[in-house]
Amino acid sequence: MIREPFKYRWFVLGAVFLILATLPTWGSDYMLLMGLLFCLYAALSQMWNLLTGYSGLLSLGQQAFIGFGGYTMAVMTSYYNVNIWLSILAGGVTSVLLALFMSLFIFRMSGIFFAIGTWIFAECLLLWFSNWEYVKYGTGLFVKPPNPPSMTMIYYAALTMGVTALAAVYFILRSKIGLGLMAMRDNDAVSSSMGVEVFRSKLFCFLVAAFITGTTAGVLYVFQIFIQPYKAFAIDWTVNLVFIVIIGGIGTIEGPIVGSFIFVLLSQYLSEYGHISLLLLGIIAILIILVAPKGIMGTLQEKTGFELLSPRRLFSEEPR
Amino acid sequence: MEALMQPLLNGILLGGLYAVIALGLTTMFGIVKLVNLAHGDLMILASYLSLALVTSIGINPFVTLVFVVPIMFLVGFTLQKYLLNRVLGDEMEPPLLVAFGVSIILQNLLLLVFTPDARGIMTEISVKTIQIGNIHLPVLYLVDFIIACIVIFSLRLFYNKSFLGKAIRAASDDVGAARLMGIDTRNIFAIAMGIAMITAAIAGVLVGMTFTFYPHTGPQYLIISFGVIIIGGLGSMRGAFVGGIILAEAQLLGAHFTGPGYQLLIGYAVLLIVLAIRPQGLFGQAH
Amino acid sequence: MSSESILRVDHIDVFYGDFHALWDVSLGINKGDIVSIIGANGAGKSTLMYTIAGQNAPANGTIEFKGERIDGEGPHLSVGKGIALVPEGRRVFRRLTVHDNLVIGAYTPKARANIDRNIEKVHDLFPILAERANQRSITLSGGEQQMLAIGRALMSEPELLLCDEISLGLAPVVIKSIYNQLEVISKEGITIALVEQDVKRSLRFADYAYVMLEGKIALHGTPEGLGEEQVKKAYFGM
Repeated sequence: MIREPFKYRWFVLGAVFLILATLPTWGSDYMLLMGLLFCLYAALSQMWNLLTGYSGLLSLGQQAFIGFGGYTMAVMTSYYNVNIWLSILAGGVTSVLLALFMSLFIFRMSGIFFAIGTWIFAECLLLWFSNWEYVKYGTGLFVKPPNPPSMTMIYYAALTMGVTALAAVYFILRSKIGLGLMAMRDNDAVSSSMGVEVFRSKLFCFLVAAFITGTTAGVLYVFQIFIQPYKAFAIDWTVNLVFIVIIGGIGTIEGPIVGSFIFVLLSQYLSEYGHISLLLLGIIAILIILVAPKGIMGTLQEKTGFELLSPRRLFSEEPR
Repeated sequence: MEALMQPLLNGILLGGLYAVIALGLTTMFGIVKLVNLAHGDLMILASYLSLALVTSIGINPFVTLVFVVPIMFLVGFTLQKYLLNRVLGDEMEPPLLVAFGVSIILQNLLLLVFTPDARGIMTEISVKTIQIGNIHLPVLYLVDFIIACIVIFSLRLFYNKSFLGKAIRAASDDVGAARLMGIDTRNIFAIAMGIAMITAAIAGVLVGMTFTFYPHTGPQYLIISFGVIIIGGLGSMRGAFVGGIILAEAQLLGAHFTGPGYQLLIGYAVLLIVLAIRPQGLFGQAH
Repeated sequence: MSSESILRVDHIDVFYGDFHALWDVSLGINKGDIVSIIGANGAGKSTLMYTIAGQNAPANGTIEFKGERIDGEGPHLSVGKGIALVPEGRRVFRRLTVHDNLVIGAYTPKARANIDRNIEKVHDLFPILAERANQRSITLSGGEQQMLAIGRALMSEPELLLCDEISLGLAPVVIKSIYNQLEVISKEGITIALVEQDVKRSLRFADYAYVMLEGKIALHGTPEGLGEEQVKKAYFGM
């Protein structure tokens, strides 16, 4: 049975984009805030998805780039009066350099050791920054740009990042690199050594993800005006990204988008309940893994259409 | 040199504790090939259980082991049998993500029940020290070390000599073949996790007596456990012992030279270096 | 050779998902016999073995062992009833020693009582295993691993021994020696079902033979009754 291409997806995505692009003209301030958070999380989770869902790189340390990119932006613009947009981009650049450095240590290992390695790096950064006089230790830094942007400008910056992240994933997966990753995905489960081509492809994805994550973090912290190490480098970021992608559908392009939407709504709704919300998030995530492991979009795609860019078969379909 | 003796000796004792903390993780990882990301949180759960017993019925912390150990065995057994066994398969991510979820749930549950305040299980020996020459060794560290050695030795004996231990090793070698031998592999893995939780229970009680803890200290000990495993090698109990000591020494000697604020950082740095140059650790098999 | 039936497979169908692996298969094995099951790759021989051992549940039909129904019970139960499978590819526990492999073979309570005596017996059958008792089984040669796999299966004191392609990848002289020991095992009264691709050797050895093709029993009979030409035709589906 040959399935028809799910062309409607592009119409849906286009409609979503239009809504978001015009939001500042008709939406309330609250909706703008929601939209902003949505775009930021969409970008961050899309990158986590690129790594874990497509490249076989389980990252538990994206917060390393969030903090590093955020701090780069804050330092450049507050201390050195660099233009805010340049500072944000600089955050992306330094994140790439950080990623390159990290890869020296952790790219030799596969699977769980890679994951733990990313986490440890993030912890190291947390400890370093909270003990560093230059960034005012753990008390944190205020973001004081020479040309403070308006809410609308920040919003569009976030939207840009969201779209960039989506575009990056889309084009990577259609490129030679992406096809190479697809080809090895089924064999990756048992191989712990990597061929040179695969190694390069994975490293490329790792660096791209670092760049976009770092840049997105810059936008985030421009918005939040304040950055401190215990929040910026916290594992909580990973927890949220994991939740978003699991629920939305790992290894699908729309998954992070749907997941971010749900997450932003849920966390606003539950924000009064504090730790119960995290508890619920954890329970929901586990239930989804057990019951509908492909997440919302994954299960939907299974029922209705096909996968435009088929993801790694992360959850085995055979009964155990 | 004299001044170094203190951190050096403390490091050995602390290393024993680190080893027993990591033991459950390395056996599950090396033998059952399951990485339990909730390992640290489960250990802290044991600490809290012990604390609850001490504060409510006023028994000695060591006596709480009588209750905490069976409870933790059941927790591990149930967790494996009804949750983790379901997602065990070819891909590495699902059990990791489920364990991650369990970790989050545990941390927040503990937060709700016990509040975010710092806790510690106090005993009479908490502040006692033994004097050897100019060095003061905390009695608690010594006790931790001795108990750790006993646990490691016993576990090694169990896995190498006992029928059940061999069955667990066989099942993780080849699940299908193990079933042909009559081994109910679902239960076997659950038992293995239960045993790992027994060691975590002991570790948790010791940690609770030796250090302060919060609902979110779990991940910290998870990283320590990984450090021990990375340095010492996966699945090796001997490696856990040596790895624990090396990690502890790195931390304490590092702190001696650079100051206490950097203690954790130096430990992590050593870990990353080992990861870079000898990823399989000292006693592990090459990946 | 008695004519008392020890295993009865009655009209079973087995499916792997949508794939129809066994079609209306029936066979009977008599106590103390050596029965050969011959066929090319993909004929369904291993599927049949695993089904008898309880790994697969037939979609219909029944399997009776010593008069008791055992279909679809699960291999960890059938071994307690007296059926042991030497799986294709040997599948010894590589990180365990030779000795421990044998010990694990005696996992069922019934077998544990006689563990030392049975290890002795296995050592008598395959002396090389006694020599290598404390070596990890991954260090053994293919032939030695095969002997270990057979020995391991014997540790559960089976009445029916299922051997799945035990000559695969082994040198002829090794195969010959293993088959000699199988004869010894058979003389002890253990019923053996032997899955093989090698027609000649199987027929020479067996009391009865079944030829399988594409999941069905194509032909069966005593080796004397079955002509070689007839068997070859059935084997290749001509």
